[in-house]
Amino acid sequence: MSTTHPLLATMGRPSMLRIYLVEAGYELLRLLRTPAFAAPTLAFPLVFYVMFAIVLPGQWGGFQKATYLLATYGVFGIIGPSLFGFGVGLAMERQQGWLELKRVSPMPTGAYFFAKIVMSLTFALAVLLLLSIAAIGFGGVHISVGTWLLLVATLLLGTLPFCALGLWIGTLVKGQAAVAVVNLIYLPMSVLSGLWMPLFVFPAVVQKLAVIWPSWHLAQMALGVIGQVEHVRYGLHAGVLLAMTALFLSLAALRLRSN
Amino acid sequence: MKILHAVIAVSVMALASMMYSLTASPPEKDGPVAAPAAEEFIIRDARIFDGEKVLPRASVHVRDGLIVAVGVDIPVSKDIEVIEGAGRTLLPGLIDAHVHTWGDARRDALRFGVTTELDMFSAHQQLAAAKLERTSLAATDQADSWSAGTLATAPGGHGTQYGMDIPTVSAPEQASAWVAARKAEGSDYIKIVREDLHVYTGKQDMPTLDDATAAALVRAAHDQGLRAVVHASAQASARQVLRDGADGLVHVFQDAPADDDFIALARERKTFVVATLSVIAGFAGERQTLSDDTRLVAFLSQGQKQTLQSRMAVGHANPALIANARESVRRLHAAGVTLLAGTDAPNPNTAHGVSLHQELEELVRAGLSPQESLAAATSIPAKVFSLQDRGRIGVGLRADLLLVEGDPTVDITATRAIAGIWKNGHRVDRSLAADKATMTLRKGIVGDFDAETLDSTGKSGWLATTDKMMGGASTVELSRIANGADGSAGALRISGEIAGGAVWPWAGAMYSPGATAMAPVDAGTATELVLHARGDGREYSVMLFSGAQARSMPAMLVIHPTAQWSEFRLKLDDFPGADKTMLRAVGFTAGAPAGPFQVDIDAVEIR
Repeated sequence: MSTTHPLLATMGRPSMLRIYLVEAGYELLRLLRTPAFAAPTLAFPLVFYVMFAIVLPGQWGGFQKATYLLATYGVFGIIGPSLFGFGVGLAMERQQGWLELKRVSPMPTGAYFFAKIVMSLTFALAVLLLLSIAAIGFGGVHISVGTWLLLVATLLLGTLPFCALGLWIGTLVKGQAAVAVVNLIYLPMSVLSGLWMPLFVFPAVVQKLAVIWPSWHLAQMALGVIGQVEHVRYGLHAGVLLAMTALFLSLAALRLRSN
Repeated sequence: MKILHAVIAVSVMALASMMYSLTASPPEKDGPVAAPAAEEFIIRDARIFDGEKVLPRASVHVRDGLIVAVGVDIPVSKDIEVIEGAGRTLLPGLIDAHVHTWGDARRDALRFGVTTELDMFSAHQQLAAAKLERTSLAATDQADSWSAGTLATAPGGHGTQYGMDIPTVSAPEQASAWVAARKAEGSDYIKIVREDLHVYTGKQDMPTLDDATAAALVRAAHDQGLRAVVHASAQASARQVLRDGADGLVHVFQDAPADDDFIALARERKTFVVATLSVIAGFAGERQTLSDDTRLVAFLSQGQKQTLQSRMAVGHANPALIANARESVRRLHAAGVTLLAGTDAPNPNTAHGVSLHQELEELVRAGLSPQESLAAATSIPAKVFSLQDRGRIGVGLRADLLLVEGDPTVDITATRAIAGIWKNGHRVDRSLAADKATMTLRKGIVGDFDAETLDSTGKSGWLATTDKMMGGASTVELSRIANGADGSAGALRISGEIAGGAVWPWAGAMYSPGATAMAPVDAGTATELVLHARGDGREYSVMLFSGAQARSMPAMLVIHPTAQWSEFRLKLDDFPGADKTMLRAVGFTAGAPAGPFQVDIDAVEIR
């Protein structure tokens, strides 16, 4: 029979909900106070979108440029906080020993990941709102509320594989090195999966290879939702993204255990 | 730990199979799919010049070739293609009121947003087809046309110098029968020439219709229900035909600015005048600048570039001609005389389609507002020539549309920044068909001849070719034989006889990799043509047909197949002058000397 420590008994049981929320709140606060993270994460997709979709003239056959790019820059936008928040965040905290401290504290491990996920989703949502304002307000994009909600839902769920990928990267490298590694993956992957400009401007081999990038799969789903690409096989794309999530999470877990 | 390894293994395998199925099967294979065929679309939130007035922000809904709605709030259903019009201006397809059409003229016109051309003299044999086309709403790559057909001129007069057989008119009594003959040929109106060249050379260098005959022709045309339009380069003859009741002038005259007497007459008679300042500028020695405009130059065919650069051969360039013409246009417009935009393409200094953009600018420089200039190329010619179904953007009208970037109702040169052209509700492909390959070569075997039959029109794409097309008499037969090279199931046998006498005799087989025979494909990354052959000791030519012109000479290499199968590897770069980016066909032929030949080829491959 176990008894509660008398001191704890006088304090009452800790509220799990409160631990999760406080951890998430401080995670957000930490990132908001890291302008090197918050500013580029929010501004880059918006600046690129405004430039390529609205300012630069041009026409791509039957595609609606502003609508097409809303989907692809939406994907680009949500990948940023997922990769950087998880990858760089974890790498830094490992280097500073902060992670060790948190692990020995009585805080449940779940709260740590919950906080990171909440942070990723919050930033992803902020990016999507900014993009949507630009697209609908200034780019002449017309989409119904239902379609927009479906797009946002797709993209927010789509943060999963990138959170997992970020987590894995965070377990592989420490400290500032993670920034370099994430950028080395993030930017080429975005370009090569057609997020900055459509894939049909690239050589055929790049178009074929796009299938290896998780961002391409998410972009295909987003473009399908928004009506710019027909015959999207959502099941297969979602399957790929889920399998990638499982793969990256497993790899990350392996690394964390062997440490 | 074990379970993690299992998850990794399973997810890697799942990923591999899903990625394979995504790349291996059609839908997403080649990137995004093309837009659906545009039977129905909406151009949304554009500035619209409807032919008469400007709607600052409105949408146009097109279905099955017709405009079905124009308005500010048109509901957009999900499956209709939407073209964003913000920042752009939508115009009715342009009408050029003075051209001469043959060859690619109407294709050239359409590439620049000119969807209707009013021909002022060309071969009457093409009129019947043109009449059918302009009533159709089918997709087309040509502008529609109305035409005068054969022109009315004196024996030896202007119009007879082009080598066509022109029935001329020499006396007033012939006028009625002459007009009836034109009407029977399908002329939509009658064009009468008053031209003796004295305006250009200073003396009467060419016979022309006299006043009485011209007047009789105008009367005969009206009697038979046709309009009569007149070419007159001098004010005196223009004045005379107006008095005789002509409906319009197809040029503004150039010997002097229009005087008050002429202007009063034109107003009273409600005569219209097609300005054609573009071509007159050329007579006067000015050079058009269209072929330097980056918004236009990419869409100019060789033929268009040529006529834009060519110069008038008659008389010396006299700047007074264009000065007089511009002043006349200014005065006529100020007095309210109806002006039409027309270019006289493809005469020197002009080209079909593109020159109308210069003419619009000329009209603005002569005092028309940009909107009035646009109306002179849309609603006004439609009204003057009773073209009921076009010239404006309105419900029920033919969906001939021109979408441009910017605002040509303020800056007329914005018409050159074309964002889209629709003819009969179908988007016009502006690319120059002959100048670029639309397909990429599928590298690999182009002929293994292992199937039982040789289907020369089907996917095997192998066709017989001989010098018969150039007047020769050589023969060839293609057959599929069993037992090909390296133990394969079959091969192609090319046998026949080279006949003597032709300058360049040939007979053999050719293969076109494109969708149709000789259609160009881009073989830019291919390096080698590999084939197996066995022959009778003759020399055979391997030919590569390529380049912008379908009928240009092929690049050739020679092979000497022996009685045994052997492999030949030919580097594409070794074919002299071949243009890999526009590969049209590969040929295997025998040539001189005359006599029978037989060669078998197999496993033909482009790598």
